[in-house]
Amino acid sequence: MANSLPTEFDVIVMGTGLPESILAAACSRSGQRVLHLDSRSYYGGNWASFSFPGLLSWLKEHQQNSDTGEESPAAWQDMIHETEEAIPLCKKDETIQHAEVFCYASQGMDGNIEELGALQKNPSCVASSTLIKPLDSACLSEETHSSHITSYEVPTQDTPKNNEEITDTAETSVKEEYCGYDTYKHTVSDGTKDEIKPVLEDNSVPPKRKRIAYSQIVKEGRRFNIDLSSKLLYSQGLLIDLLIKSNVSRYAEFKNVTRILAFREGKVEQVPCSRADVFNSKELTMVEKRMLMKFLTFCLDYEQHPEEYQAFTQCSFSEYLKTKNLTPSLQHFILHSIAMMSESSCTTVDGLKATKTFLQCLGRFGNTPFLFPLYGQGEIPQCFCRMCAVFGGIYCLRHKVQCLVVDRESGRCKAIIDHLGQRINAKYFIVEDSYLSEETCSSVQYKQISRAVLITDQSVLKTDSDQQISILIVPPVEPGAYAVRIIELCSSTMTCMKDTYLVHLTCSSSKTAREDLESVVKKLFTPYSETEVDNEELPKPGLLWALYFNMRDSSGVSRSSYNGLPPNVYVCTGPDSGLGSEHAVKQAETLFHEIFPSEEFCPPPPNPEDIFFDGDEKPSEPLGTNNIVMAKLESSEGSKNLESSGKHLQN
Amino acid sequence: MSMEDYDFLFKIVLIGNAGVGKTCLVRRFTQGLFPPGQGATIGVDFMIKTVEINGEKVKLQIWDTAGQERFRSITQSYYRSANALILTYDITCEESFRCLPEWLREIEQYASNKVITVLVGNKIDLAERREVSQQRAEEFSEAQDMYYLETSAKESDNVEKLFLDLACRLISEARQNTLVNNVSSPLPGEGKSISYLTCCNFN
Ligand SMILES: Cc1cc2nc3c(=O)[nH]c(=O)nc-3n(C[C@H](O)[C@H](O)[C@H](O)COP(=O)(O)OP(=O)(O)OC[C@H]3O[C@@H](n4cnc5c(N)ncnc54)[C@H](O)[C@@H]3O)c2cc1C
Ligand SMILES: Nc1nc2c(ncn2[C@@H]2O[C@H](COP(=O)(O)OP(=O)(O)O)[C@@H](O)[C@H]2O)c(=O)[nH]1
Ligand SMILES: [Mg+2]
Repeated sequence: MANSLPTEFDVIVMGTGLPESILAAACSRSGQRVLHLDSRSYYGGNWASFSFPGLLSWLKEHQQNSDTGEESPAAWQDMIHETEEAIPLCKKDETIQHAEVFCYASQGMDGNIEELGALQKNPSCVASSTLIKPLDSACLSEETHSSHITSYEVPTQDTPKNNEEITDTAETSVKEEYCGYDTYKHTVSDGTKDEIKPVLEDNSVPPKRKRIAYSQIVKEGRRFNIDLSSKLLYSQGLLIDLLIKSNVSRYAEFKNVTRILAFREGKVEQVPCSRADVFNSKELTMVEKRMLMKFLTFCLDYEQHPEEYQAFTQCSFSEYLKTKNLTPSLQHFILHSIAMMSESSCTTVDGLKATKTFLQCLGRFGNTPFLFPLYGQGEIPQCFCRMCAVFGGIYCLRHKVQCLVVDRESGRCKAIIDHLGQRINAKYFIVEDSYLSEETCSSVQYKQISRAVLITDQSVLKTDSDQQISILIVPPVEPGAYAVRIIELCSSTMTCMKDTYLVHLTCSSSKTAREDLESVVKKLFTPYSETEVDNEELPKPGLLWALYFNMRDSSGVSRSSYNGLPPNVYVCTGPDSGLGSEHAVKQAETLFHEIFPSEEFCPPPPNPEDIFFDGDEKPSEPLGTNNIVMAKLESSEGSKNLESSGKHLQN
Repeated sequence: MSMEDYDFLFKIVLIGNAGVGKTCLVRRFTQGLFPPGQGATIGVDFMIKTVEINGEKVKLQIWDTAGQERFRSITQSYYRSANALILTYDITCEESFRCLPEWLREIEQYASNKVITVLVGNKIDLAERREVSQQRAEEFSEAQDMYYLETSAKESDNVEKLFLDLACRLISEARQNTLVNNVSSPLPGEGKSISYLTCCNFN
């Protein structure tokens, strides 16, 4: 395109994650000329969602990224004047580590459904954990093994592993059915599919049940929208408030989370939260129902009844709950699923407060206090980018920035130099943490988030409806460890193909993602290759495919720990491990007020029709948010066309 | 005062290279004018026009790219839940025609399967500078299973026809869907905007 980028802006934003995107929208909305860049080819950074093939190429990119040779630094150095200094930016993204992929679904042929009969006869498997080669989806999809386990690491620290380290989840299948690891070691390398001999021999067993093959997942790959960061929106949270206030909500659609689940004594149970839930619950006895209602009703205005908890303010919430005449299962529900607090750290007052918040949030949109955006969480940053663009912001993906240019005298940043060697000037610079170089971040301490993404064939708790959106908190096994948050999405959230579920696991990292999360995965799911037909009522859902990875959590980093950044360079952090996006919203608002103290943060935009139409009729807005004012078609020419149209669009 | 003062609501989304006349087409249709200069309209998200077709009120919500096409950076969310796409090129600009396959790839990736796509060759008032023949465009649109129309936003040629024919198509498609699809399977756009989510209090 013959378009060249303007070179004068008020604000340059680097990175399209949630806080950067909110800031870009806010700046643009208040009249600033905004340039919003991302070095990647997609929106959202570590807040993005990917289709299945998109996710595979994201994995691949993260490997290649680390291999890229350094470009010669001289390219931009000639462009720095004597009165200036350059702060080079980072060339590679190092926020993702320890990525490991496991496929338990059979490969299938030509996208056909593989019948289980054949599977049983054929307990072969491919396992390899040393592979550092990129996973090639095309290659995988053409293989025909009944079970295929691949694993590789983003080689930030490519320690060779041995077979013993093969995942626990896969362990049984590996140890009992192991057949020729060496033979298949090459299967994940590039496109050498002919070398792989199908092990299927006998299809004489009559097919019993339809099975989902890996090839189907690949074929239906664009049905998936897989979040890198798994979050929900609190129905009374800052993000929902901002979306509504700024009108950005009109770019997205949402669904209620339908169930809150608890995991207790090896069983998944539904937590009753609304009044109706409590009364309709089949699990609770009449006595329990009364106990729970009494306690929850008290929590709604616990401040009014200090005598009820005064004596326990020094105790933990879990100790307090023991004194409230609640059964152990009710105590568990309240502590882990309603207050969502950990056993050891939560005081009585914090617990009561959290319970009250939860109950208050129930009322707003549905019978759980959470919402999920259709097509995944990655839509949300994009919605703010759209708002920024509508107010004149200029968007460039795939646009790398080589360095920031600092004026020696004032100490302020005045420009960036992009990958084309072009200098672009601005007054303020907003940069996402991962764009900063190692040198700038040398004294920064990062936390890590452990993530797993699973594709499964059934819900962790089957009910009449197979279209449930559930959240499940699995408390830590040992004290001091982190609770694991699980979000299970059904296909109507537009994040996975029909007849599958997309399951996200998240916790603060202690070790690698697989080490942190695998035991929970194992408790809840059975590798698909082991789900047999004879066992009609499978106790656990089958696991078709799994990805583990660690994501850097920069949310706790303070501005002062970055070395030598000019005062007009503002840093946004990546996703935190929290359930909501409160941190990102707060950060964006705080930075915005730092930059523009007197400007309003994301006020509602004027109604498009207010600008252009005289509007002889302005019906009141439905439910107060939809800002659509109708413009009546009045030209007689228009109504004439109405009659004649309808048959032909072709010329 | 009725909440839904229309029988149908359709979201129509325009795409195509920068400069082909998308913004002008929208403004010609919704406002009846041809804006002088580059049609960058700050702060305008989408335009609404309600038309009557065979006695039924059809509300068309027409979305423009907000300039994000300039550097190939349209957000995926822009395509979501669109009922129809108007893929536009400029008949006096070969390059804008050659980029169509790229746009079709984006459509395939992000738009709903059920979306109706119309190919529009704009600026036919500049016939003397034509670079893309009608026949070539027709062949292309046939191969891609798209409707095809040539317009001039400037002279208001075929602009009404473009949108109204599209509205008719959308209505008949919508009718068919409700006939065929009695049981509602999850479709894009089936989620709800925040304001429509139902409430269910603890109290
Ligand atoms: C069911 C429920 C519904 C809620 N609904 C809303 C709502 O509608 N609106 C709203 O604004 N807020 C809501 N909240 C959020 C709650 O009020 C938040 O605590 C609040 O937003 C404050 O966030 P923060 O960033 O200050 O704290 P955070 O930094 O998010 O910390 C919150 C608590 O979690 C603990 N914590 C953080 N990370 C971990 C971890 N990895 N492992 C163990 N513990 C950890 C912290 O110690 C702290 O006690 C809800 C919370 C729950 C549980
Ligand atoms: N001659 C002529 N010029 C047009 C027509 N439509 C748009 N233009 C011009 O083409 C340029 C780009 O139009 P615009 O609507 O901004 O294109 P967009 O980038 O696709 O939105 C402007 O200078 C318009 O005046 C048309 O039908 N005929
Ligand atoms: Mg335009």
